Amino acid sequence: MLTILFDGIAYGMVLFMLACGLSVTLGLMNLVNLAHGAFAMAGGYCAVVLVNRLGVPFLAALPLAFLASALIGLAFERTLYRHVHRKSHLDQVLFTIGLVFMAVVAVDYVAGSSQVFVQLPDYLQGRFTLLGVGIGRYRLLIIVLCGVIAVALQLVLMRSRFGSRLRAAVDDARVAQGLGINVGGLFAATFAVGSGLAGLGGALGAEILGLDPSFPLKYMVYFLVVVTVGGTSSITGPFLASLILGISDVAGKYYLPDLGAFVIYTIMIAVLIWRPQGLFARAAAR
Amino acid sequence: MAELLAVDELRAGYGKAVVLSGVSLSLAPGEALAVLGRNGMGKTTLINAIVGVTQRFGGRIRLDGRDITALRPDQRARAGIGWVPQERNIFRSLTVEENLTAVARDGPWSLAKIYDLFPRLAERRQNFGGQLSGGEQQMLAVGRGLIVNPRVLLLDEPLEGLAPIVVDELMRALRRVIRDEGMAAILVEQNARKVLSVTDRALILERGSVVHAGDSAALRANREVLEAHVSVAQARPERARQPAVSN
Repeated sequence: MLTILFDGIAYGMVLFMLACGLSVTLGLMNLVNLAHGAFAMAGGYCAVVLVNRLGVPFLAALPLAFLASALIGLAFERTLYRHVHRKSHLDQVLFTIGLVFMAVVAVDYVAGSSQVFVQLPDYLQGRFTLLGVGIGRYRLLIIVLCGVIAVALQLVLMRSRFGSRLRAAVDDARVAQGLGINVGGLFAATFAVGSGLAGLGGALGAEILGLDPSFPLKYMVYFLVVVTVGGTSSITGPFLASLILGISDVAGKYYLPDLGAFVIYTIMIAVLIWRPQGLFARAAAR
Repeated sequence: MAELLAVDELRAGYGKAVVLSGVSLSLAPGEALAVLGRNGMGKTTLINAIVGVTQRFGGRIRLDGRDITALRPDQRARAGIGWVPQERNIFRSLTVEENLTAVARDGPWSLAKIYDLFPRLAERRQNFGGQLSGGEQQMLAVGRGLIVNPRVLLLDEPLEGLAPIVVDELMRALRRVIRDEGMAAILVEQNARKVLSVTDRALILERGSVVHAGDSAALRANREVLEAHVSVAQARPERARQPAVSN
């Protein structure tokens, strides 16, 4: 029981890494980026190549995966995404879903369609028992690492000047820009960090979620559930939504295997009936 | 005196709609200009066009001799345009202090000086923007425009919807900013009587064009012009909003 909870938390933490960038970019620019998962996949494959082919230590590959995805994200934002900022949501959806399909076939062509795994070092394999709870070493690493990053993100957002400028731009982009905040530059930076975190999530999550070329499509629904339930005005919302989603998905698949994915949809529907604006809605609609 | 701000034949609006049809004005350093006129005559559009958040169809804007027409709003703000928007638009998820520090730039208007001007804001520094009263929000909007340390401050109906006692408090602060500190300002108002006492010159907009320009004191005495173009009644009905602008 507690082991399931533990695994669910680890799963939720990975989901948070994957989705938190999406919720911030959606909140900031109202940009629907369905291709967010493609940046996560890029990080995952980057880690696979670095660790399995080039023999880079696993822990060193994680920041590199972050960096690679962040740079790819920045390049795409500056060259392609900036042109759809002011387009309708339908245009954004069509554009980004196109990117997803391109990413899927590109990765399929280069790396093959079979599932790949990152070779974990020995010290991260296996589990130990603590107070009767079976704890996987790798999942413990995920929880600690993602927990630290989540706290750091929250501190940057709530305590730093960059964070207050970002929140100001999310509140009212037009006025923030009129008062000297370069919203476009802020967005590019946020997009890059969000893509980087997704890449880190992809690298960390390859073991748990599985990694193959259809990754961006398979997990798109999960990202969107996290953003819908968690809202886009903070990162505590997506964080809690990720944990709820992770725990309920793991528990659901264990206890109610016949229902499968319906468990998370049921929970999502229940939450949205209760709080249609998400768990942490803005105080008032703009 | 040298020109600080020069607006030349500015045509602007929203989407495809032209609201301003060729407005020109100029402002010297330390000078204050009142922009008067009834609802929907283009006062807010004029402010927004100088800030850079409208659609521009023609004309030029120069600040300190530098052409800022092609600059983005954030670049104009850094060049010296300070903005107190009509709807105040306080950042709700920021505290009072963060509302100020997020946009602050180096210059004489520091956090301490803003708090000195509006002691109420100092008391409320840890409150979030959404928790303020209308008067406090307006004070914060003025402080936020000042802490950008602009060359010219644009105030869009700063007295609207406020209780008389708050109006007096705000007018005292504005008089200090404009008269004592010598901040150049453009004050958009419907309430002519209040603002003409702190401004040097005034212009009246009607249907997107300037129909009167002159001395504030002379206009104050000129009932005929005021009654023809400006609402002078004390009790103002709830007014319609300017067209909403999407992000």
